[in-house]
Amino acid sequence: MWARVSAGAIPGFFLSVAAIGLIDWLLPGPWQAALLPCMLAFCPLWVGVICASLKFADGKRAWLWLSAAAIVGLGLLRALQALHWVR
Amino acid sequence: MKLKPTTLRAFTSLHSWVGLLAGLALFVAFYAGAITVFQQPLRQWASPHLAANGSLDDMQRLLDHVLARHPAAHQSLGMTFPGYFQPSATAYWPDRHGTWQFATTEAPEGRPARPGAPLPDLVDELHYSLGLPVAGTYLMGVVSLLYGIALVSGLLIHLPRLAKDLFALRPGRNLKRFWQDAHNAIGVLSLPFHAVFAVTGAMLCLSVVLMMAIGPLAYRGELLAASGAAMNTAPVRPEAGVDAPLAPLSTWVAQARSTARRQGIDDFAPQYLKLVHAGDRHATVEITGTAPHTMAAGTLALDAHSGTLIADQLQGTRDANHATLAWAYALHFGDYGNAAVRWLYFLLGLGGAFLFYSGNLLWIESRRRRRQPVQGRSSRVMARATVGVCIGVCAAISTTALAAQVLPRLGWNVDTGERWACFASWALCLLWTCLRTPARAARELLWLTAAVTALVPLAHGIATGWWIWRSAAAGHADLAAVDLGALAMAACFAMLARATARRARQGEPNSVWAEESAA
Repeated sequence: MWARVSAGAIPGFFLSVAAIGLIDWLLPGPWQAALLPCMLAFCPLWVGVICASLKFADGKRAWLWLSAAAIVGLGLLRALQALHWVR
Repeated sequence: MKLKPTTLRAFTSLHSWVGLLAGLALFVAFYAGAITVFQQPLRQWASPHLAANGSLDDMQRLLDHVLARHPAAHQSLGMTFPGYFQPSATAYWPDRHGTWQFATTEAPEGRPARPGAPLPDLVDELHYSLGLPVAGTYLMGVVSLLYGIALVSGLLIHLPRLAKDLFALRPGRNLKRFWQDAHNAIGVLSLPFHAVFAVTGAMLCLSVVLMMAIGPLAYRGELLAASGAAMNTAPVRPEAGVDAPLAPLSTWVAQARSTARRQGIDDFAPQYLKLVHAGDRHATVEITGTAPHTMAAGTLALDAHSGTLIADQLQGTRDANHATLAWAYALHFGDYGNAAVRWLYFLLGLGGAFLFYSGNLLWIESRRRRRQPVQGRSSRVMARATVGVCIGVCAAISTTALAAQVLPRLGWNVDTGERWACFASWALCLLWTCLRTPARAARELLWLTAAVTALVPLAHGIATGWWIWRSAAAGHADLAAVDLGALAMAACFAMLARATARRARQGEPNSVWAEESAA
């Protein structure tokens, strides 16, 4: 259990950051306009990811999948920001 | 959603672990938080004399006095309107060294001590930090996250039988079933309330830390700078360098009221203000207030010199950031609506405390050795910690309330004295549970808490002359409610003490809660 929970807590944290960042930057209008609702949504999202990580068959898979998703998510966000496709 | 049996077991294990880690802190947070709902009445109750609500003229005099005496207050000054924090107006500002100074209409010279009786502030501190300096708030933030995990996992475990067992409360031979039913019913029925506190509690304690972590990752490091603008009502204007007098308070209030009325908010009542660059041509004042039938009416920023409106964030027209803040604060503090809302928060808060207490009892019960009197070490430690921390904090808060009435009569420093009373009595309760068997300690501490709580209205009557009947007859509902509330809680503690004693005598023998249980 702990291997999966730690995956939810650590790579899951970065995945949650990526998801909140993508939501905030992709929403219509500048990202500043939806900043606080997104910050408020962060903790429940992270908690959800930690709990959902128990659905993985084992810790190794949880770490791999969540890390990969976090890297892809943060990479996508950085790319969109650098290309000025989002604001 | 269908969960595999192994996944379900993992959730059960996760639920136990987060309950184990956070349950005791959550009990303290909910018990102290339930009392903090009545912060204002408690402040009145703990003040040695009853003051009538001050007027706006008194507040104006305080403002003029502070600005004339304290140059530092010109940079930034906050004030509460009469009747919001306490009956008279208060002012607060950071001095040259950054130390907060406070002044009231009764004591207009600035001093570093917070105005008003310290009792409600101490209970509030227990609520958000367990009374621990600095790290306590972050600790409670982490506890809020664990609480969120406990809510989700608890709901998932219970989900398959949720509808069937919702109103089941099965007393009888199987005590664990009974406690489990009570735990589940309270957890499910007050789930929206708990969800609100898990989310807003984490936000209030951890927002700065989280923003510092999230900013560089997802916001190119621009997050903290943007958060200020998202929370302020008006953009910060630099000083003009030209002297200009302030418009009178009454002009600001009139402008705030008429602006609110134009936006469909009648009876805007100002609660507090923030004034920056007083005396400068670019002085700005932000006035926050409430109104009937709103969650939180909102804030207006005015030019403090001319009284003209700069910007507003009022219900109905405010942006998403300010709406989020207003809703999160209002839902957490329960300061919208009337007394019924506060009583509801109080009862749900006590229900939450029961949820964590019963969670610990279930943990102990599921590890009970049914065929031998000596129980496992983990069960004994858990039973002791539960009794010492949970019943101990109830005893400590009642002792502190007693001290709030007794200490001023003895001429002692009330603030320091109350702290000693609170933490020393709590520590003594913990020590006592280490010396006794859990069953005995629980019974004795419950009787002690009942006695101390029953003494609270007595001490109030003797110290101030405001006995319950006199407060009630004079129409001081706040004072009478605090005293009656204490009596009702004393009765509850006495009933719990009797139930604990009965359990020890007549319940199943092989348990930490049985009379013969070896220590």
